[in-house]
Amino acid sequence: MNERIAAQLNAEKSPLLKRLLLAAAILAVLVWSSVGIRSTSAVGNGMAVAGSIVRGILTPDLSFLFDLTAQGVPYLLLETVCIAFMGTLVGAVIAIPFAFLGAANIVPKGIALVSRVAVMAVRTIPSFVYGLMFIRVTGPGAFAGLMTMSLCSVGMVSKMYIESIEDLDKKILESLDASGCTFFQKIRYGILPQLLPDFASTVIYRFDMNLRDATVLGLVGAGGIGAPLIFAMNSYRWNEVGSILIGLIVLILIIEVFSTRIRNKLVRG
Amino acid sequence: MKNRTITLSNGKTVEQPRSHKLAVCILLLAALALSVRVTGFQMSVLIRGGYRFFDILKQMVPPDIDYLDHVWGPLFDTIKMSILGSAAGAVLAVPFSVLASSNIVKNRGIIGAVRIFYSIVRTLPTLVTALIATYIFGLGTFAGTIAIGVFTFSYVGKLLYEQIETVDMGAYEAMEALGADRFHAFLYSVVPQILPGYISNCLFCFEGNVRYAAILGYVGAGGLGLIINEKVGWREYDKVGMILVTLFGAVVIIEFISHQIRKRLT
Amino acid sequence: MIRFEQVSKIYSNGVKGLDNVTLDIEQGEFVAIIGLSGAGKSTLLRSINRMHGITGGSLTVDGVDVTKLKGKELRKFRRKIGMIFQSFNLITRTTVINNVLTSRVPDLPWWRSLLGIYRKEDKIAALEALDKVGILDKAYSRVDQLSGGQQQRVALARTLAQNPSIILADEPVAALDPVTAKQVMDDFRHINREMKITVIINIHHVDLALDYADRVIGIRAGKIVYDGPASQVDEKVLSSIYNGQEYGKMEAVQ
Repeated sequence: MNERIAAQLNAEKSPLLKRLLLAAAILAVLVWSSVGIRSTSAVGNGMAVAGSIVRGILTPDLSFLFDLTAQGVPYLLLETVCIAFMGTLVGAVIAIPFAFLGAANIVPKGIALVSRVAVMAVRTIPSFVYGLMFIRVTGPGAFAGLMTMSLCSVGMVSKMYIESIEDLDKKILESLDASGCTFFQKIRYGILPQLLPDFASTVIYRFDMNLRDATVLGLVGAGGIGAPLIFAMNSYRWNEVGSILIGLIVLILIIEVFSTRIRNKLVRG
Repeated sequence: MKNRTITLSNGKTVEQPRSHKLAVCILLLAALALSVRVTGFQMSVLIRGGYRFFDILKQMVPPDIDYLDHVWGPLFDTIKMSILGSAAGAVLAVPFSVLASSNIVKNRGIIGAVRIFYSIVRTLPTLVTALIATYIFGLGTFAGTIAIGVFTFSYVGKLLYEQIETVDMGAYEAMEALGADRFHAFLYSVVPQILPGYISNCLFCFEGNVRYAAILGYVGAGGLGLIINEKVGWREYDKVGMILVTLFGAVVIIEFISHQIRKRLT
Repeated sequence: MIRFEQVSKIYSNGVKGLDNVTLDIEQGEFVAIIGLSGAGKSTLLRSINRMHGITGGSLTVDGVDVTKLKGKELRKFRRKIGMIFQSFNLITRTTVINNVLTSRVPDLPWWRSLLGIYRKEDKIAALEALDKVGILDKAYSRVDQLSGGQQQRVALARTLAQNPSIILADEPVAALDPVTAKQVMDDFRHINREMKITVIINIHHVDLALDYADRVIGIRAGKIVYDGPASQVDEKVLSSIYNGQEYGKMEAVQ
């Protein structure tokens, strides 16, 4: 071994100590979080319950699954989709001002920060608290559900809007200026064509998520398939739970396939 | 409908692909009309009764500072649930995602089966998972941890196999050529490429999980949701306000830390 | 010694990759394989370390029947054969030395290989390999900060660190500019002469092949159409290899 190699060998920063410290830190956090994770009620016969849940889901209540009245799964699913659709739409609209006020390349940094903190605050309030607030405005039902959903969407949607706004290519505006466009023409032909595909993609993605989250709304009597699902679970009617879950899963899978396709088309043009 | 043909002045023709814009607009309007009907959406109700939205919000201010002492316990429960659930779910996702990656596993049957499993798990709303978990494991934070774990598993898992598939397989090939087995080739060529992204995804998921975990108490799965639900029931909104302010602070701190780590990863 | 006896390779889609190839390569030779894209250069090279399997004939390396190897034996066999790729096949987001060290992984005890903790002797071997290709000072740089020529040298060092007796190079300079390509070829010559390692190179640039290799193998549609010293390759030989088409002069490719 010649000197130069020995010198390089000694030049190496030992990764061992750093790795050990990191491993110890991670272990400490995990141990801390495992302490105190517990079940407060008696576990009872958990396996038996699990068994009956699985059995119920495998033998769904077919008459309920294909009941075409307002109490059947198909209508409840339709209602859920409609809540998610309207909720996403309203949320997408509310998010627009937040996004433009939060984009650091459009407004001063101070305003952008305030807007972002406001969005975080909006996101922090749990959905069922919003549900209660809206029930005072609209009464219980799907209307309250969609409004709740819209507020819950604002956080993520505006965050993703902000990213697209900050990615805007401003050179196009220069060329539009050069060809003599007015301010509104510049927005219409320079900005909107860049933003719309991204925004649309974001909204579709959020719609997907909202459909999954729509069950939460049932808890506060805000419509959709969540309420019947939770009633059925609370009264151990697992066959009904099975019908609802199967309906929900099939619906979400179908919508996911379509939304992924549309989003791919939007992004790739 | 046919493609529109435009003829230029010099006789050349250009075919313009037909546009779906009109169809999409009609479809969206129809969906909108249907949704408005089904959900009973009325702008006038919002304008007339909108102020009542702030009824509860007003009663939350000023928050009951004295109640803070009772918030710490459930807050840390919530954070613990999120950490443990996120970690468990993220680790469990690794083997499944490897099996779902078409550049590592050549058997299409296995890949398809794992992916369908992921899709189905992903459709389960966290709250429903939590409720089921409380039936099986009893009320408390353990059920919440399970629910968070299941969600993280499906979320991180999908991102992970998509990430593995976009990896540059050259280094893997080189490892195989120099006599490493598939496990070591994966460990030394694929893992270094995906690790930063994987950790970043886990942290991002964890940030969201803290919020989710705060709701789970509503179905008895422990944490802040439990006391929020209780105080909402008693209409002690100043205490709810205090809980929410604390949660907000915790989320801001966690997001800041996680954001810093994620920034350093790339 | 590498011995091909009537080796053929038919792909599952019916395409003949190799057609009745018979040849011997002695230890310490510097061989260039030339031919059109798709003529079977890569198949020929990669069949030597079984990165591609063959469908007929026999192929032995130092008396070992390559076609019969599998699992652990195959991996042990591959330890003696280094491989260099056109696209370098490095892990770009980690350091140079970590890349070189990966070639030591199969010889580590299981717990070391799992945790990625190398022995001092591995590190010295890696640094010595880097020294041989002249980039010792880059040992702790990240690979993505290096130029293409330097990256190919890292790959070369990775191969040297496994102490191979044969190096297979699949279009090693195709992604490099002419000057860097010459430098990398110089490295190969150096390694071949100083360390008596057999070097077998697939190469597109005929002029480089003729400048550096002792022996040239011309291949067309899976068949060997020329096998002899580089000095005897003339226009007629080249036109038979390249089927009368314009062959890969370096300037033409760049």
